[in-house]
Amino acid sequence: MVIYSFYIFDRHTECIYSKTWLPPPSAATTSQHDIPTNNSTSGAGSANSTDPHHNPMRSARSAVSAANKASDDAKLIFGTVFSLRNMVRKLGGEDDAFISYRTAQYKLHYYETASNLRFVMLTDTGTLSMRNVMHQIYINLWCEYVVKNPLSPVEHKGGAGVRNELFELGLNQFITGLIAR
Amino acid sequence: MTVFSLVIINKAGGLIYNRTFHEGGLNKLSTNDYLVLAGTFHGVHAITARLNPVKSAPERPLSNTPGVPGGILTRPEPPSGLEVLESENFRLQCFNTLTGVKFLLFTDTTQTNVDVIIRRIYELYSDYVMKNPFYQLEMPIRCDMFDRKLLSHIREINNR
Repeated sequence: MVIYSFYIFDRHTECIYSKTWLPPPSAATTSQHDIPTNNSTSGAGSANSTDPHHNPMRSARSAVSAANKASDDAKLIFGTVFSLRNMVRKLGGEDDAFISYRTAQYKLHYYETASNLRFVMLTDTGTLSMRNVMHQIYINLWCEYVVKNPLSPVEHKGGAGVRNELFELGLNQFITGLIAR
Repeated sequence: MTVFSLVIINKAGGLIYNRTFHEGGLNKLSTNDYLVLAGTFHGVHAITARLNPVKSAPERPLSNTPGVPGGILTRPEPPSGLEVLESENFRLQCFNTLTGVKFLLFTDTTQTNVDVIIRRIYELYSDYVMKNPFYQLEMPIRCDMFDRKLLSHIREINNR
């Protein structure tokens, strides 16, 4: 089983938590790009002197664009899930619930609590229903470490109160346990 | 094992065909709602193709290697959009043809071999809609032969 990423959206449609278990794509591509240029331009001194000057700028820019892309992705995911949920409820009745969709490359799982808290998980296509997994995350991690935390605010604006040590640790342990299985 | 309904969406996101085979499976919607549904699905389908978390391998190394004549690139599969949607009450299979026409088949959650059914429907579409000289492309499908063949095909599956 492969789990790509996990998102939590609150009832104000804001992404209050997101985590990916993918290697950062920008770092991988730049490192692959660096190796051949260093090998091929070993004789040219000027090319070597400009390379270290150029790289930090590019990596800083790619970090900013990666952060932008992550927040754009979260918005796209929320829009998709919101439209599909409304479509499902229109067709299947008010008690119907959207569970998951699959494309040729990945599968998206959806779980919504009674308080309109939405959990979204992206996995590979072969994975079976992750509804119970997200229900467990809600009961054992969210309720225990976020709701019962007296320092945590009621509304998690910008993810405040969600990114606490116990929740992060518990989630990471739970997911790595699932992936290893 | 029941097939509820079929929806066909043209490449611009417009609804061109909509037929219900089994009453009581899904809520009855107005024609306007079906048009909205088709447009919404068209947009969502495009977004789901973009959300692909799996990064394809970079193409550059292959073109640099001297062993490859002319730098032939192995193109990765283009990302596909939504194929199957599951809810508590129904299952939606989407078949996207190379020309961008989408066939949406709503079935109950236990229906098997939906891809075979949908391919057969595509065959019927190409035989009785595309070969109909009076059919105008991208326009709503009003072909008696297609209706009849489709209905008998689905009735056979629903009575199994």
